[in-house]
Amino acid sequence: MYIVGRILEIKRLTCRIKAFTVEVCERVNTTPGQFMMVWIPQVGEIPLSIAYKEDRLLEFIVAKVGRVTGHMHDNLSKGDRLAIRGPYGRGFTLRNVEKCLMIAGGYGLAPLLYLSHELKRRGTEIDVALGFRTREDVFYTNRFDHVADHVWVFTEDGSYGIKGMVTEVMKKHVKLKDYDIVYTCGPELMMFEVVKHCLEQGVKVEASLERVMKCGIGICGSCILDPLGLRVCKDGPVFDGEVLMKINDFGRYWRCLDGRKVPIKSRFNS
Amino acid sequence: MVGSSSLSIELSGLSLRNPLILASGILGTTFSIMKRIEAEGVGAITTKSITREPRDGYPNPVVVELEYGLVNAIGLSNPGIEYFVHEIKLAKRLLKIPLIVSVAGGEIEDIVYVSRRAADAGADAIELNLSCPHVRGMGMELGTDPIMVKEVVESVRKRVSKPLFVKLSPNVTSIVEIGEAAADGGADVLVAINTVKAMVIDVYLKKPILSNRYGGLSGPAIHPIAVRCVYELYENLGDEVEIVGVGGVETWRDAIELILAGASAVGIGTAIVRRGLKVFREIIQGMAHYLEEEGFSSIDEVVGLAHRR
Repeated sequence: MYIVGRILEIKRLTCRIKAFTVEVCERVNTTPGQFMMVWIPQVGEIPLSIAYKEDRLLEFIVAKVGRVTGHMHDNLSKGDRLAIRGPYGRGFTLRNVEKCLMIAGGYGLAPLLYLSHELKRRGTEIDVALGFRTREDVFYTNRFDHVADHVWVFTEDGSYGIKGMVTEVMKKHVKLKDYDIVYTCGPELMMFEVVKHCLEQGVKVEASLERVMKCGIGICGSCILDPLGLRVCKDGPVFDGEVLMKINDFGRYWRCLDGRKVPIKSRFNS
Repeated sequence: MVGSSSLSIELSGLSLRNPLILASGILGTTFSIMKRIEAEGVGAITTKSITREPRDGYPNPVVVELEYGLVNAIGLSNPGIEYFVHEIKLAKRLLKIPLIVSVAGGEIEDIVYVSRRAADAGADAIELNLSCPHVRGMGMELGTDPIMVKEVVESVRKRVSKPLFVKLSPNVTSIVEIGEAAADGGADVLVAINTVKAMVIDVYLKKPILSNRYGGLSGPAIHPIAVRCVYELYENLGDEVEIVGVGGVETWRDAIELILAGASAVGIGTAIVRRGLKVFREIIQGMAHYLEEEGFSSIDEVVGLAHRR
């Protein structure tokens, strides 16, 4: 069943990204990487990954990409109620991490922000690389400042921070083998590159995947990955890199609402 | 320990290693998840219902979890038979257990077409979903009218030689009347029951939760309804057809109860939410133990026992 949340604050981060801080009526036990299903009556329900949590406050980073997120951007304001169920899914590994690297693309930084705070509490040394398309897309780099030892910011056109793709951090800026684990979240083709490179270097890596989700509880079969039959909502959304390399769909196919597979490239180009 | 052979059954000519069947509508969308569920020990798999054209289904929310069950209105989302034929072929190549393809549609012609395509692609049996309670024009209207039910089943029967299952709705005055119509039309197996039409309203947001407002209730709440329906069907039609009992089975007790009521096999669906995929193994072990404890040499001996006076 749902728990009711009230919007405490909405921050405009870029022209298409807003952060919603929601106070929920009861405490929820969550771990970084998990997601909640957020329902706005008469509009719809979407999975949102938890970007930050403190007691009964949950923060969600919402990019304006569809009908429900569009409504959230345009019509919701402070004080509005929404209904939340969850948390769902499996999160990131937290144990036995002395030093880690986080690689985020765009609003993929959301679960990594929550993760970084949780790991900091556990004494983990954290390096972060954040990638954006251009200066106008950059947000929240400061939120990592006090938890991370190093924060690299990349833009593809060089209008802010280092010019280039965020994945270059692995090759040019760090010694990958220094890390116990690499965490990544962002566009799937970016994550594919991260996972592949980490495994080649023998470094453990975890990635958080996104798919069309309907039930969120592992029964509707909308978010299944071939050929292992893994459910992103239940067996993920965070997967180990070794597992991902056995998933033919990873970096290649997405499922639409009716369940048919479409190549990921065409989805991003369209 | 009882040999696992005591649980194996023949269902309308299909050999099942045990009487548990993945019910339609839960997972059953891709060859990969079917393969994974087979590895959990299930006896046969029913796919999600397939229609002639692809369907997106309803917008979220499509499920509501309750303490005693689940209300869903997924809206028959499926990739359409043209695409699903490949999924069936892949599944048939990989699975050792029987594959039952569930078929839905609003027009007899479409139902016959999809059934034929599925059978040609290698489905071991066809299950007609004439009872989806929450999609207008897709089953429920057909499934509540005995004359229509007979006509649909007859039409498919003429064109498909594989075993024909018909899934029945409990949302009718007399499930026996509908079951009789399906049997008259040539059904080999009656599957009972589909979900019970339901609604959930959030008290704070003061609105029905499901985008479709109406949905179908499954899970423990409907188990006694399933037992009653199976009992009635077996009492009246037990000589003509076999019965698959579905509805709120979470433990071996629930499964045995349906078998005592007259079911030859038992569907499992919603239990996966609360118990995970390991639920199949748990129920199988419990059933094997029950057979041994009660002195049965085969699960067949248990079918319909509750009817003996």
